[in-house]
Amino acid sequence: MSMPLASSGLQTAQVAEDKLVVSIGPQHPGAGHFRFTITVDGDTIVDVAPDPGYVHRGAEKQTEYRTYLQSIPMLERSSLTDVTNIIGPYSLAAEELMGIEIPPRGQYLRMIMSENQRIMSHLYWLGIQGIFLGHSTMFMWPLGDRDIFVDLGQMIGGARITYSYWIPGGVRNDMPESFKPRALKVFDYFETRLKDYERIFFQNPLFLKRTEDVGVLRREDAIKLGVVGPVLRGSDVKSDTRIDEPYCFYKDLDFEVPSYKECDTYARCMVHLVEMRQSMRIIRQCLEKMPLGPVRVKLSPQQRTNPGEAYARVEAARGAMSFHIISDGSTKPYRVRISVPSMRNLIVLKKLLIGSHVADMPAIYWSLDYWPVEADK
Amino acid sequence: MVAQELEEAPKKPGPGSKSDGPGLNILVGKARQVIQEAIVDPVTYLANWGRLYSLWPVHLETACCSIEWGAVSGPRFDAERYGILEAFGSLRQCDLIVVHGTVTRKMAPRLRWIYDQMPEPKWVIAMGACSITGGVYFDSYNVLPGVDQLVPVDVYVPGCPPRPEELIDAFVLLQDKIRKSNIR
Repeated sequence: MSMPLASSGLQTAQVAEDKLVVSIGPQHPGAGHFRFTITVDGDTIVDVAPDPGYVHRGAEKQTEYRTYLQSIPMLERSSLTDVTNIIGPYSLAAEELMGIEIPPRGQYLRMIMSENQRIMSHLYWLGIQGIFLGHSTMFMWPLGDRDIFVDLGQMIGGARITYSYWIPGGVRNDMPESFKPRALKVFDYFETRLKDYERIFFQNPLFLKRTEDVGVLRREDAIKLGVVGPVLRGSDVKSDTRIDEPYCFYKDLDFEVPSYKECDTYARCMVHLVEMRQSMRIIRQCLEKMPLGPVRVKLSPQQRTNPGEAYARVEAARGAMSFHIISDGSTKPYRVRISVPSMRNLIVLKKLLIGSHVADMPAIYWSLDYWPVEADK
Repeated sequence: MVAQELEEAPKKPGPGSKSDGPGLNILVGKARQVIQEAIVDPVTYLANWGRLYSLWPVHLETACCSIEWGAVSGPRFDAERYGILEAFGSLRQCDLIVVHGTVTRKMAPRLRWIYDQMPEPKWVIAMGACSITGGVYFDSYNVLPGVDQLVPVDVYVPGCPPRPEELIDAFVLLQDKIRKSNIR
């Protein structure tokens, strides 16, 4: 194929006597489907040009010619590591437009699935961070443990990772009776496992050297640039949608939001670790407090909404995920806007990378938990 | 000669063995097939044998099916048992592309470009409904309806996303295909 190479930054090019432009991606050893061009001066990065959009599939446009229920499987593909949480705000906004109340058992089931999904997403993140740091064990252990949580989700949802579970009107089905004993057993196992993780990965001198004081994002910069989720909490801001704007029954539950003063890559890694522990704590409380009863309000497949606008926000694994739906009263939304945490966190990539070493680039990039499929929608 | 000996072998009493062809002991049947192939064309057999169990995929993740690709390389499903290594090397050493799902208009030229840079022989696995027909994004303005317009596909793996077992099955199918192929 004929393609202009040097001019488009696709090939390494020497732009000045001591400056080199290097293209990274979309085929590179890390998470694919994302490309950025860096300008290096020796070993130091002096400029970064992110180039997202390799997975832009037009999810927002497609919701306009699908009914409210038909959109769900398509929307959840945008973030396969975090399927429950991306459907969450969509359903909450649609319910606000439809004006329906969700039964309490459905709300608890939503929280259980949402937190289970958060653990899965964080474990996947931890595994890939291991790959980025060249630590094979750190890839194998979390991915092995992730499959246990995949099985837990499968007990409720039925599919391996894509169970369109959280839907407008409640949740798709009730959980089986065998879920509770199985989940408690898994959590007991995983809590000892997290101690191992801390000992083997997080206190590993190599891991410390590669992440401490690397990619420092100060508190005021984090607030100014509008980052969300673990990146914001790693920068010493105790912000969490579950506490600030509680949805479901999060206000009745007792859990902590971690935040770290170091503001570096290590702090962002620690936030993920602590959040996994807190998610298990939330599910344990949910399993105890759960009342019996129906789990969903049956909606018609061609459900109409009241005309108007609705906005909803939940705390997804990567940060605040929000949907804004505009309805004209028909069976299909007039316009759906999605604000995803990945895109918000990408903004700081340029700030963090400039001035750092080339070798630190993978650790910084993945500590933002940037998932291109989610960001491009 | 060896093949003749093997034909006589099932007549001896043993577990699962019968005197007729269809009921042959499966291990003996496999051994006979291998030895026959090795005798008929030893060069092809050796070359294919070398390629079979050292497939190196390019690390090009086109979309979200890469999650299940991660699970396949993880310890539970462990595709390395089948001779597939999740390679983190140069694409000039690779001989397999697994197209992980949707290919958009922006990604399509890159996919073809990467395919062109790989040395022969090379194979393509289309993973997921999106890479076969477009999947749930069939009516999107930015998605390629099927990756086979772009690169020749050897094995299709349907599913959205396919389960890891299906992907492993695709690897085995591809190895069967390589085993039967002629070398150029």
